[in-house]
This record gives sequence, C-alpha cells and structure tokens, in this order.
Amino acid sequence: MKSLVKFVGALALLLPFAAQAAEEWGIEHEKTARFEAKVVDILCELTGDCPADCGGGKRQLGLLRDDGRLILPTKNFDIFAGAANDLQPFCNKKIIADGLMIENPKMPLFTLQFKKLAPDGKWHRANWFIRDWAKANNVKRDSDTAEQWYYNDKKIAETIKRDGVYGIPGLKPPKE
Amino acid sequence: MRVSRWLAGAALGLSVALSSAAGAATPTRVKVSGEIIDTWCYITEIMYALGTAHHQCAVWCASGGIPVSIRGDDGKVYVVLKIEDDTTNVRNDRILRIQSHQVTVEGDLYERDGVNYLLISAVADDKGVVNLTHEEYGIQPFGN
Repeated sequence: MKSLVKFVGALALLLPFAAQAAEEWGIEHEKTARFEAKVVDILCELTGDCPADCGGGKRQLGLLRDDGRLILPTKNFDIFAGAANDLQPFCNKKIIADGLMIENPKMPLFTLQFKKLAPDGKWHRANWFIRDWAKANNVKRDSDTAEQWYYNDKKIAETIKRDGVYGIPGLKPPKE
Repeated sequence: MRVSRWLAGAALGLSVALSSAAGAATPTRVKVSGEIIDTWCYITEIMYALGTAHHQCAVWCASGGIPVSIRGDDGKVYVVLKIEDDTTNVRNDRILRIQSHQVTVEGDLYERDGVNYLLISAVADDKGVVNLTHEEYGIQPFGN
C-alpha cells in the first residue's frame, strides 16, 4: 500500500511535466529537445543592427545558447505559424525552450512547442500566434474563425484574390 | 589558491573572447537565383512545397510569420532577413507579394550554425511564378 501511494505520488509529479514535454511529429531528422537559451533578434545578432524591443514583433527571433550556437525557431504549435509571437515577450531574456530539433542536412530548424522564463517560470504552450491573431481580429481564441485564421485573414484574402491560389493572376483551378 | 583563481579568470576571459568571436559574423557578398519558398514546408518535406501547387500555403505560412527563404538554383536554402532597406522579416508585405516567384537577388550572406541568412540589397530580376507544379501536385495541402 505504501509503495502504491509512493507510485501515485510520483505519477502526480510527473504528469504535469509530461504534459509540457514536446511531442514527436514524425518529421525526418526530428529529436525532442529542451534547452536554455537567450531570445535574440537574429538580424541584431548577426549585424549589430539592434532596434529596441527586438524589433517589436517585426523580426525573426533566435535562440542563442551559452555555447554560442544560434538556433532558428521556424514553427510554433499553431497551424501555419512561426514562433515570433511566442518569443517576443522574452526579448533578450533567457528561456527554457521545449520542442523538436530538426537536424536536416539542408539546414537545422527548431519547432517551439513550449516555453518558460528560465529558470523557474511558468510553462506556456507555444500557441500565441492564434491568440494574438484572435485579439487583433476581435474574435474568440477558440472560435472556428481563429482556428482557421488562414482562411479568415484579410491580408491573405487580398493576396489570393489578386494573384490566385497558384500565384498567377487569372490561372484558376479546374471546377470539380 | 591564487593560481587556481588566476586560471579560472583566464578560462573565463578566453570563454568570453571565443563567444564574442563566434557572434561576430562576417558577410560574404553573393548573387543568388532561385524560388521564394516557405522554409518550414520545404525543409521538413511534410508536403510538396514548390511552385504553383504550394503557393497558397506559402502565403499562409509567410503571413503566419514562418521565415521565408530562397531555394537557390544551387540547391542551398537562404533565409531572407532583409529586403533592400526593409528589415521587417516577419509577415513582410513585399515578400508576401513575391512568394513563389523566381528571382535573382544580390546581397550579404551570413553563415551561422548551418543556416544561410541572406540580407538582400537588391532584387535584380523577378520572373514571377514560373514553376508550374499544380498539374502534378494539385493544391497543397488541402486540394481545391
């Protein structure tokens, strides 16, 4: 009985941790990864062109580890979205990043699934793109409009209306 | 004791120096021809990610803030961080307008930890969308 209590106790401690650990997506070369890194403006890191607030959301942000490696977060947990919205609040701060490192020979990528302020911040799912999109478009975060933001984004609609789905004005898909 | 402190200080100094050296990148002047692509779909190969078949998805991903790259005719991938004087590289309107286009650009290349970062100083040529892949691949990822 005592060992059962210990087991359940250990499970209770582990479950929240497991829930915040990266999941595999079945992408070639992927490995789950959790590491500490400083959130940096990549253009600033490379060139010294460093506006305030890491560009205020207009720039791709990288993860600079203590060993000097600069990692490019390419994706967050939202569909068709990157990680800039998730990282912007942590500009020039150290975070714990959790996700998938994809060491593709063409180029390495990182998919951010969770993040927290290092060392003891609260874990957050890396899904702040849709959260911010919903707020900007005055819809609920869990609405169908927000979940399918790519069908409801005004700029995308204008682009597709102008150039078509193939990117060539006047070229249309066959009617089914 | 003093020797060990001195060694520790020297090691820290060396570490800082090496770290600074790693961060100080020197660009190479390049001319690149290739197709503007969505970096995520192309690298991960989660779907067919070139040309007309993938144009709509590439617009979605660029609008979602996923880095945009040029898939060079040399087979390399160049992540675009700047286009002429515009340093916006998240949801950049101009890049959105030339998504999937075949372009020739000139710029500065920074190679860092396996990634080619490209700062475009001039778009020398833009042929528009010329990679007609939709007849073979349809519309990626959801079809018509």
